[in-house]
Amino acid sequence: MKAIRTILFLALLGIFLQPVFTQAQATEKQATVKVSGEVTTPLELKLSDIQQMAQTTVVRKDRDGNDHSYSGVVLATILQKAGATMGKDLKGENLTKYVSVEASDGYQVIFALAELDKDFTDRTIILADMIDGKPLAAGDGPFRIIVQDEKKPARCIKMVTAIKVGFAK
Amino acid sequence: MNKGFGGFGLMALILAGITAISSGSYRDPVPVGPYPFVYPANFGNRINIPVDNPTTLQGVYLGRMLFYETRLSANNTLSCGSCHKQEYAFTDGKAFSEGVDHVLTPRSSMSLTNLLWARKLFWDGRATGLEAQAIVPMANPHEMGQSLEASAQKLQADTEYPGLFKLVYGDDAITRDRIVKAIAQFERTLISANSKYDQYLAHTYTPTDDELKGMELFNQSPQPGKGMRGANCAHCHGGPKTYMELFHNNGLDSLPKDNGIEALTGLASDRGRFKVPTLRNIALTAPYMHDGRFRTLDEVLEHYSEHVVQTDALSTVFRGESNEAGGKQLKLTKEEKKQIIAFLNMLTDRTFVTDPRFSDPHQSKSKTTKS
Repeated sequence: MKAIRTILFLALLGIFLQPVFTQAQATEKQATVKVSGEVTTPLELKLSDIQQMAQTTVVRKDRDGNDHSYSGVVLATILQKAGATMGKDLKGENLTKYVSVEASDGYQVIFALAELDKDFTDRTIILADMIDGKPLAAGDGPFRIIVQDEKKPARCIKMVTAIKVGFAK
Repeated sequence: MNKGFGGFGLMALILAGITAISSGSYRDPVPVGPYPFVYPANFGNRINIPVDNPTTLQGVYLGRMLFYETRLSANNTLSCGSCHKQEYAFTDGKAFSEGVDHVLTPRSSMSLTNLLWARKLFWDGRATGLEAQAIVPMANPHEMGQSLEASAQKLQADTEYPGLFKLVYGDDAITRDRIVKAIAQFERTLISANSKYDQYLAHTYTPTDDELKGMELFNQSPQPGKGMRGANCAHCHGGPKTYMELFHNNGLDSLPKDNGIEALTGLASDRGRFKVPTLRNIALTAPYMHDGRFRTLDEVLEHYSEHVVQTDALSTVFRGESNEAGGKQLKLTKEEKKQIIAFLNMLTDRTFVTDPRFSDPHQSKSKTTKS
């Protein structure tokens, strides 16, 4: 009798807990970065996709005044993968293109496409997922733009969710 | 921009409005032509008008009538204006608002101000554009509770509306799409740009000492190492419009009852993340927060100064922002809170909340008829 009661209890517990588990699974959804706009292949990149691409490290100061070593993928590499007009195609009207980067808090910054191309500049701009060998902090990551040598950190946009290439009109 | 034309347009609109009010008939000339938006240059021109819904004087005229039209609700008692009252800067002074079925809304009614610049609407930003936003409260069974199709039928049977729709859209068909477009047009005209703060920015008002000190604290981030005190409000509420269209977790709860944007994205990092609202007319829009939990600005300041709850989803702007070295809370003094509230009162725009162009046209009409 006691055993039956226990089984019944566990079964009921299972029924009640099911929605809780389902909800927990739903919140474990991973953040992604969508690449869209003036590209031939729109992308939605997960952390694992970023980690499989060639990694680059950029050192820059953060708000704490200390140098940190950020690693991730050069933004131009991601844009090339999506088929944006980079390198030899970055000329003529394509020089009026911009890259808009958006964050989950609604913050948004703009780069000119040419600012990101290594034929134009040696300054490296990466989509970072690591700081000093560790994943970015909760409020900063999982993806953050790091602009090498830029004096203000304002364009080192945190919690990146979308990268859009557009024509200035 | 277009100041001269704007003044003329404004005058035309007011004159036409007076004509319409005095006799209360749609047959009076309704102003027609493009609507001339007038706003200060420092508001910027990053405005949001869909190409398929250009703003016209006749569209705004119709939209205003629809905004205050109770027949758009299931029992003919509620209009958009029921929860967005002009005297409260288009909020309703309540934490939650009652729908046609007497059920309360899950979130607090938002101020409708300077929406010309808004791109994401609702506390969770889920509607991209006013047209998409306007449908929701009208059709929601716990708000106005009537399908747009049913509303269209009611209005089609009216003596006045078909003619107005014809004037705006070229023929008298009343559709869901046309109703929301006209309402959105009216909402875009709700521009508040004549607060003491605007006047200060235009060099026509000299703030008091408390207002000035409050403004300084509002704009300054705390840097105890450098002896600089601040409240860092402008980080999210900065600029001449005091609105930046950001979405943050501002540390209200450790376990929020309402998960905010997380409910849409499924991301734990979006838990308790809500729209950072405009501070325009903030002294008129109590109670505060998405759930109206704070009754006064003192309570709001108390929260930001002492009670920000540290969780994984807390936005970084609240982490380690303190006027005390190594502190976790902002820690403003009583005097500083008073000064910040003095500044917040500078954001009240009396012309906006009394502007006859934004008032209930049905009210003015019935008043005129009675008198």
